[in-house]
Amino acid sequence: MQIQPSDLGLIARVAELGKRYGSGSGSVTALDDVSLGLRRGEFTAIMGPSGSGKSTLMHIMAGLDSPTSGRAWLGDTDITELSDSALTVLRRRRIGFVFQSFNLVPTLDVRGNIMLPFELDGRRPSRDEQEWIDELVETLGLGARLRHRPHELSGGQQQRVAIARALATRPDLVFADEPTGNLDSRTGREVLGLLAAASARYGQSIAMVTHDPIAASHADRILFLADGRIVRDAGRSSAEDISAFMLGMETAA
Amino acid sequence: MNGRLRDQGPTLLVATLAAAFGVALLQVTGILAAVLAEDDVTGSSGTVRLMLGIVASVFITIAVYVSAVVTANTVATIVAGRTRQIALLRLIGSSARSQRAAIAREGLVIGALGAALGAVVGSASAWVLGEVGVAQGVIPSVERSLLDPVVLLPMGAVVLTTWLAAWTGSRRVLAVRPVQALGNSAEADLDEVSSRVGRTVAAWVFVILGALLLVLGVLVGLVRPEGVLIGLVGGILSFTGIVLAAHRVMPPVLRAVGSLFGGRPAARLAAENAVRHPERSARMTIGIVIGVTLVTTFAVTMESYRTMLTTAFADEPALQSEIGPMVDGTVAVFSALIGFSAVIAAVGLVNTLSISIMQRTRELGLLRALGFDRRQIRAMVLVEAAALTVAATATGLVLGVVYGWAGAQSMLGSVGGAPAIVAPAIPWLIVAIVVVAAALLTLAASVAPMRRAARVSPVVALAVE
Repeated sequence: MQIQPSDLGLIARVAELGKRYGSGSGSVTALDDVSLGLRRGEFTAIMGPSGSGKSTLMHIMAGLDSPTSGRAWLGDTDITELSDSALTVLRRRRIGFVFQSFNLVPTLDVRGNIMLPFELDGRRPSRDEQEWIDELVETLGLGARLRHRPHELSGGQQQRVAIARALATRPDLVFADEPTGNLDSRTGREVLGLLAAASARYGQSIAMVTHDPIAASHADRILFLADGRIVRDAGRSSAEDISAFMLGMETAA
Repeated sequence: MNGRLRDQGPTLLVATLAAAFGVALLQVTGILAAVLAEDDVTGSSGTVRLMLGIVASVFITIAVYVSAVVTANTVATIVAGRTRQIALLRLIGSSARSQRAAIAREGLVIGALGAALGAVVGSASAWVLGEVGVAQGVIPSVERSLLDPVVLLPMGAVVLTTWLAAWTGSRRVLAVRPVQALGNSAEADLDEVSSRVGRTVAAWVFVILGALLLVLGVLVGLVRPEGVLIGLVGGILSFTGIVLAAHRVMPPVLRAVGSLFGGRPAARLAAENAVRHPERSARMTIGIVIGVTLVTTFAVTMESYRTMLTTAFADEPALQSEIGPMVDGTVAVFSALIGFSAVIAAVGLVNTLSISIMQRTRELGLLRALGFDRRQIRAMVLVEAAALTVAATATGLVLGVVYGWAGAQSMLGSVGGAPAIVAPAIPWLIVAIVVVAAALLTLAASVAPMRRAARVSPVVALAVE
């Protein structure tokens, strides 16, 4: 894993990150000296088996959890020691989330869910932002659904709403946590295609945590984690190559 | 089973309160009756004793009814939160019927426990009250056993209604499908409003018939004071209708109140949260509506009565000075007796709101992840509690003023000799007490959930169950 000073195009970076749960002999190491940088505008997949530390890594990078050692940056902001309220504002303005279980607010309709990040910020979208939101709604095929509540939508539609919400503020970085985990394979492919397009067409930086090789094959770059360490940093790969590497990791372990 | 019983602590409290109230009221009535029997003038009359008994049973019925509504709501809320667990048990072969029966059995046990505790607490309070009365010389010392079999009546009523309420509240167990144990965690928001046509029709019939009788009572009252009796029947009918239709009446009121809190995201979400389970919200608020309506009705009628008397005896200051304490005393005693059911309803509201909010842990985590700060989360919980209590007290106050005026008008409209319109006199002290109590209730209901909700970490939104 190399972070070169010349590598100025980083949107997020962690250095010598460590995370331990518990203390003494019963402690568990979730992350062990992880250093990496995510490049601006790239769609990065973070892969690894259950317990590899990929979720912990994402939580720390998104300002949801704090590391035991090391530092984390979002853009040029060192987020390691930010206060809870500063992290809240950071998440509101600079980070987007797409969750496995969609996680829309059930009492708000589709429009309300998409606009929520702006409302939390106490402002209306600018004309430019409104055009962007309209375009998102159009591209994601949600135009006819704006007045529907989440429980009236299929899983795939709910995840599209979540993607629209995550992209609406044009955040520095969108975190996607197993975004296809609750979808059938066809809908899952559509969602991955949308994420990849957001990155390719609009330059949106995306970090996706997954253990599904097919999902990871849509990414520009794939980081493999095992036992809290980065074990491989690969470019775009086919699902077969990813599966083969994952299987190799299993047998080596 | 043990874990379940622990969830039911508030239900036990409600059952105990209802039983204690009933037993204490009957014991006090018994003491008063014994005192009256010693008295030469009233001793021969059984009427007084009968009247006391009737009045006591009206109050006890209201308290027991409110406690049953509260219990049904608590059970329904707990069941809603346990959907996955119930589904899992169904999945491995337990029948819905047997699960529901288990919950009803819990109700029976808690009802019996509450009745026994309540009998002890109620009898003890009545005994203390009697001793204090004797010590102060208010009532003469009389021999009277506290082991009056009549107290078995409220105890039995509490056991029975808690059992029935647990059965009613657990109806949704039947709707849980085993497959829900396997489903993903994307929760569909189940709308609890059931289309019970019969109930809605009955409610409409009661309300319309009752309103007509109220109008008739007011009209008759213009010429004869007996109009109040027609009005009373109309009042009871129409109010029963409103209580029956609570699930239709309260949500619009809650929506209207919710919109008063403005359009900021915390307030808007809170307003939506207050009506996300319309049936639950209706049952949370109706007990308070009942209490506030009755207290206000009585206070408005008495206040109008006082205004009329003071005008009538304007030239007799001696009589005037006697009217004041009499009216105040009556209003105070009645308000305290009715207010007790409102206390039971308040216990239910505090508990149900707390459970409802903690069932939304995941959603709270989502809001935190999306950028709600702790202050906004706290504001959201506070506004939700405020929407519920404001809607309940406002409804109660409005209904109470209307009923109170109708009562005063039909009773006093003909007293001056010629038909007259009685202006409703608002008892501001009672209104102020109700408003302060509502504010306190809002705080009581929101303090614990506010703290717990603000502590929810955004990581729970990402976690998969």
